Amino acid sequence: MRAPRLLIASLLVAAALVAPASAFGKRLIIDGSTSMLPLVQKLASAYAKSTGKPAPKVGGGQSAVGINDAAAGRVDIGDASRDPIRGVDPKGLVFTKVARDGVCVITNSSNPLPNLSQELIEGIFTGAIRDWSRVPGATATGPIDLFDRDAASGTQDAFQQIFLGESLKISPSATPESSEGLEVSSVGSDPSAIGFTSFAATINGGVHTVSLGGVPCTLRNAKSGQYAGVRNFWFVTKGVPKGEARKFIEWVVKPGNKTVRSIVSSEWIAIH
Amino acid sequence: MATAPLAPPTPVARSARERSGAWPLADRIAYWACWATGIGLALLTLAIVVFMLVKGLSFLHPALLFESPSADIKQSATGGFLDPILGTLLVTAIGIAIAAPLGVAIAVWLVEYGRPAALARAVESSVEIVGGAPSIVLAIFGLGIFAQGFLAFLSQRAANGSVYGRSFFAAGIVMALLALPLIVGSTREALQALSPRLREGSFALGKTRATTIRHVLLPSVRPGIATGAVLGMGRIIGDTAIIKILLGGLRVETVGGVPVLGLLRGTGSTLTTYVYEFSPAGEGNAPQKAYFAAFVLLLMVLALNGVVTWLTLRQPGGELPRKRWMDLWRLSAWTR
Amino acid sequence: MDRDSLTYDRQAARPARGGRRAALRDRRVEIVLGAAAFAVLAIIVAMLVTVFARAWPSFSHNGLAWFGPGGDVDAQLRAMQQLQPLPGHSVYWFRAWPLIWGTLLTTGLAVALALVIAVLAAVFLTEFAPAPVKRVVDPAVRLLAGVPSVVYGLIGILAIAPFVNSHLISQHRKESVTYVVQLNGADLTTATLILMVMILPILVAITADALESVPPAWREGSLALGVNRWRTIWRVSLRAARPAIIAATILGTARALGEAVMLAMVSGGRGFAANPLDGLTFFFEPVRPLAATILQNSEGLSNQPVMHTMYAIGAVLLVSAAMLSLTGWAVRRRLGRYGIQT
Repeated sequence: MRAPRLLIASLLVAAALVAPASAFGKRLIIDGSTSMLPLVQKLASAYAKSTGKPAPKVGGGQSAVGINDAAAGRVDIGDASRDPIRGVDPKGLVFTKVARDGVCVITNSSNPLPNLSQELIEGIFTGAIRDWSRVPGATATGPIDLFDRDAASGTQDAFQQIFLGESLKISPSATPESSEGLEVSSVGSDPSAIGFTSFAATINGGVHTVSLGGVPCTLRNAKSGQYAGVRNFWFVTKGVPKGEARKFIEWVVKPGNKTVRSIVSSEWIAIH
Repeated sequence: MATAPLAPPTPVARSARERSGAWPLADRIAYWACWATGIGLALLTLAIVVFMLVKGLSFLHPALLFESPSADIKQSATGGFLDPILGTLLVTAIGIAIAAPLGVAIAVWLVEYGRPAALARAVESSVEIVGGAPSIVLAIFGLGIFAQGFLAFLSQRAANGSVYGRSFFAAGIVMALLALPLIVGSTREALQALSPRLREGSFALGKTRATTIRHVLLPSVRPGIATGAVLGMGRIIGDTAIIKILLGGLRVETVGGVPVLGLLRGTGSTLTTYVYEFSPAGEGNAPQKAYFAAFVLLLMVLALNGVVTWLTLRQPGGELPRKRWMDLWRLSAWTR
Repeated sequence: MDRDSLTYDRQAARPARGGRRAALRDRRVEIVLGAAAFAVLAIIVAMLVTVFARAWPSFSHNGLAWFGPGGDVDAQLRAMQQLQPLPGHSVYWFRAWPLIWGTLLTTGLAVALALVIAVLAAVFLTEFAPAPVKRVVDPAVRLLAGVPSVVYGLIGILAIAPFVNSHLISQHRKESVTYVVQLNGADLTTATLILMVMILPILVAITADALESVPPAWREGSLALGVNRWRTIWRVSLRAARPAIIAATILGTARALGEAVMLAMVSGGRGFAANPLDGLTFFFEPVRPLAATILQNSEGLSNQPVMHTMYAIGAVLLVSAAMLSLTGWAVRRRLGRYGIQT
């Protein structure tokens, strides 16, 4: 009966291989904000290249998922694209700032709104203004199609915090999209649409970015501070970062790190 | 059963009453509706294929098939398909490698042994339930199972110790569940269609049942097993939900240093999730890539369809009996 | 288990050659194969138990009202994701009616439409199509069956939805519902149309086959009595093929029920219970079926309430699929006495 013996032998060999493999199988796992995804993926591969360690695994899921996963210990680092909200976020989390990012209001390319004032933004996004005829400078006609982000989105919360303040809420009849890509493509294919997204997602074109109070939404204006719609990117850890997570975060936020600075400055605002 | 084939009936000219032009209005409308539907469906298929081709070709150069995806912001201009193609092949291979032996074993047991009868009925029903379950339910079940600590060797651990739970292993094993009912069904049909004389002859020669199965029955049903396997492959290749949930990532990334196991424990993507990610529903925003990857996927499925047809027509004795072809078709049409 | 193997059991229990060793080997093979079958059974039962066990908290917190209407499904999911219960309710509060209604609508409409078109197409393929035309249309329909759902979703979201948005939804219509919901191309109509195309090939193939299996004598008898071809098909062949058509419909419904990816891409994102009393606008309202909801929340499963709710939805889908199979089997048995067996 040679076949069963062969089978047992190969199973033992496989088991023997797997055991030490488990020891090497640890690598950083990061998930969270979809706005931060391109940035953190680039940082992860640069980290792997410069230190020779296995590249951290980066996933999406939006900011709330990142925060919850970090708090539950399911991932090492969570990405959050909005500031910590007291009372909503689980306790015991440490937020480390990584970069800053511009948030632009976008409309369809056939509707190049030149400018929006703070009152108009509040009116449109809370649903008080529902028709393009009440928006000066708009070439679109008819009802406004409002697109916002999903419940778990950090961009949604950031937009709320920056543009609408504490008391106003985005209209519940807006269509929620679950990622940056979906937001941009929905606005890009609907002539009467308006929405908001991270600056980096508008680089590919396809949508028109609206100036805020006369200041165009560009990287330069965001860096110089003239454009007001800027939010923070955070790394979230349960407690003070330890071990591998600490090494990665320290590498990213180290003041003199030229690699990181050049990566971040390409489409975001470096703060270190 | 050898009789000379009957001469085909000589075509008779239709009388004036039989020509469709002479039917009552309602029947004529039905007639034209049938024609319209038939031609319409053919045109629809053509339109889909041509649409994918045209949109996809705008982004095409053959080098893309051999490049890996890149993590650039400008997704519309960079990166290739190599990793997703590898991912599709790997997941299909794992799925069939697990499902085929298991499926054949189950089918053989059901047909040749099947005792106790209650167990046989239970096995039959459970395989049918899995065949009818939506793949998304299988996927979330897999996510829950593979995140358990004792299965950490199948994927990887985060630096803080929690199990990631997503890998080629995880996706492949759940895919095996997906393909299993097809293989079981197809093999069972083939076994039941075998003439009893085959078994009688073997027993008359003094062979045990086990030997009969191994040396007589299984070789005879090889086309049936192959058909089931190819149908299973088709279902695996077309599935997105399981991959999206159980195989995190884009590029193929290995885990640990061991050559083959590291790949199986690693993550990656397949053509289906690649299309999903780059469509507006995913994170990326490069529809041209999505179209071209979708076109490659379509070609793969076409090829598989051709293989199935070729396999089923290769039955000993010529044309497959219509009932069996229909049952196979029915099996393959389950939720993808 | 076919009857023949019972006789073989007695004959093969004692192999003529090889004696006891051969009998033992036989027994061993049976045990090994039986163990494999049992292992798979165990895994599947484990899956069912896991799904129902994890679904239980969601059902126990909501009771039967889980299936009913009440509040905005999106707000409830948001509350779960942020672990901030809505005032007056527990964090598990969930009313799935808009999702169930969306599933019923898309599946029901798609199957109804597909049935009509499939019967016409099957009749065309078996009766009216000349051989060269049939050689083209038959593979075309089979090809449609092989297109993966993500490809359908891609075409839907990039081609069909914008088309519906710009050409079929008028501004006036948008204005009329703008206080409640937004209409863009991703809605009930688009989802139903694409779902219909997805389940057509199954229905066409099975119906065509059943039509071809009708005993020629029945058809010839009807034709000989002077009935024209269409009426023969309608009164004789299709009637005889009823069990097969029912079986095909059950299969198509099961597929439509489990379709998650395409619907997640195309059906509109908002858990909104489309209201038939809205008239024509009803067809342009967004819906979100059950399976698509699971897919869209699949990344947030680490959150306890969300996980339990998603498993609960999965349990509902599993039970529906099982009930569909059962119904199909029962109906086929009843009708099968007079018609064509599939």
